[in-house]
Amino acid sequence: MALAYRNGVRIIWEHRQVLRMLVLRDLQKQYTKFRLGYLWTLLEPLGMALVLWFVFTQLLGGQKLGLQPYFLFIAVGILPWWWFSRGVSGAARTFRRNPAILRMSVLPTKIWVIRVVLVAMAEYLLSLPVILIAMLATGTLPGPLIALFPVAIIVQFFLMYGLAMLIAAGAAVIPDLARIVRIVLRATFYLSPVLYSIANIPAGAQVIAAVNPLVGILGLYRIGFWPTEIDSLPHYGISLGVTVAIFIAGSVLFHRLEGRILKEG
Amino acid sequence: MARQRLDPNLEAMLLFADVGINIAKGRRRQGGGRRHRLRRFVGEQSRTGSWVLRGVTAQVAAGESVAVLGLKNSGRTEFLRLAAGTLIPDEGEVRRRAPVLPMIDLGRAFDRGFTVRQNIYLLGGLLGMTPGEVEVALPAIVENAKLAPNIDKYLRGASALTRQKLAWTIAMATKAPVIVADGMLVVGDVESRKQCLDQVERLKAAGTTFLVSTDVPRKFEGFFDRAIVLHNGGIVADGAVADGLALLRELRLASPAADTGKDDTL
Repeated sequence: MALAYRNGVRIIWEHRQVLRMLVLRDLQKQYTKFRLGYLWTLLEPLGMALVLWFVFTQLLGGQKLGLQPYFLFIAVGILPWWWFSRGVSGAARTFRRNPAILRMSVLPTKIWVIRVVLVAMAEYLLSLPVILIAMLATGTLPGPLIALFPVAIIVQFFLMYGLAMLIAAGAAVIPDLARIVRIVLRATFYLSPVLYSIANIPAGAQVIAAVNPLVGILGLYRIGFWPTEIDSLPHYGISLGVTVAIFIAGSVLFHRLEGRILKEG
Repeated sequence: MARQRLDPNLEAMLLFADVGINIAKGRRRQGGGRRHRLRRFVGEQSRTGSWVLRGVTAQVAAGESVAVLGLKNSGRTEFLRLAAGTLIPDEGEVRRRAPVLPMIDLGRAFDRGFTVRQNIYLLGGLLGMTPGEVEVALPAIVENAKLAPNIDKYLRGASALTRQKLAWTIAMATKAPVIVADGMLVVGDVESRKQCLDQVERLKAAGTTFLVSTDVPRKFEGFFDRAIVLHNGGIVADGAVADGLALLRELRLASPAADTGKDDTL
């Protein structure tokens, strides 16, 4: 807790004005680049969810994958995945994008990591209407456990922050890491319960799969819609533990490598 | 957490205590591209660094103006970055009494995809100003940089000189008590240089501390109180400006290939 406060909350609060500006500018730049601007934030995941829904229910119909309605199931899973994937690949580029900044900025080095994490998070929050659309399309309403949805967002934020510190620091020192991250990211998509539920895989493998921090986070996101997901609660515990471990490892590694990172400037 | 830890009880403004920094110089320049990655893979290029500076001990008193002289690759930029805390020393420590403003490569921090106004907020923010402070300083910055009609245009089209001038004006608006500059103390054309010099002189008179690396120290005759000469990873002279200049001339003569004397872009 103390570590999360010292590394995350306090640094964000102290530099909130500069961070707000950096994040807003990044979003603005993205949304003014394309004609449809913000709409792409909705259309992209929506299109992805449609494709996956079509492939897995219409083409490969009859498979007992995930939970029903499947379209909503995919929509709830694909958005956090999008955040995860954007955040991780953005983190690998943190210090490669503009190393000159390291030479002249008096802001803490972590600000650049936080910036990437917050931009990805802001995009995620802006894409949440996709879930509303999916709810309308499938005529589903969430139960009271939807209260865990914001909790999942906070947990994912700390996961992303920890991972981003690990990857950004690592990629600054070993450039090849950016490539490795891309491959691992591909694999993670299929190893995470985005398309399926953790209950779909063999019971023996569930414990191992739960090491993936996304298992717990996706479970928390889904519990509001599918209360049966609570059966896998012990597994969520494992992945939350891994999230904490990643955050601690990220904080420590970043602190250790800060001098090396600055030399890349 | 902040990059610059301040030490209000320090007697000097800046204190270098037996500082060393080990950097694999030129690694990035040579390391780009697939071919070089392969080379590095087969071990052709060593990744072990070298000591750019080592055993550097120096101090700068409040209100003093110090020139940092040396040949190319003598570690002048690293010396300044260490002073500003944008490099962390591998050995020893750097202590500072007041916030230090790094005027190092400022023009490169701009984002060409932003408007002039957005870039002012950006660079101001990077130099530690809050958006509120930038807002207060904005009219003066725009006027000084002569960009008033273009404030909401993209910076993309601006010339390098304009960008330098804008960066310089923003840096000055931070009103930092210590300025560390890497050849950026005076920018622009002849007329704007004179203005810059005037303002820098005024700041000096008002008690601002300067630590400046320059290729053309003669242009600042009388501005500097002291000169530090860096050579072979250490300080070889720390004293009167005239002595420093004489030593620099000797060093240049001894290794003409290493330093052909840059033009007067400062």
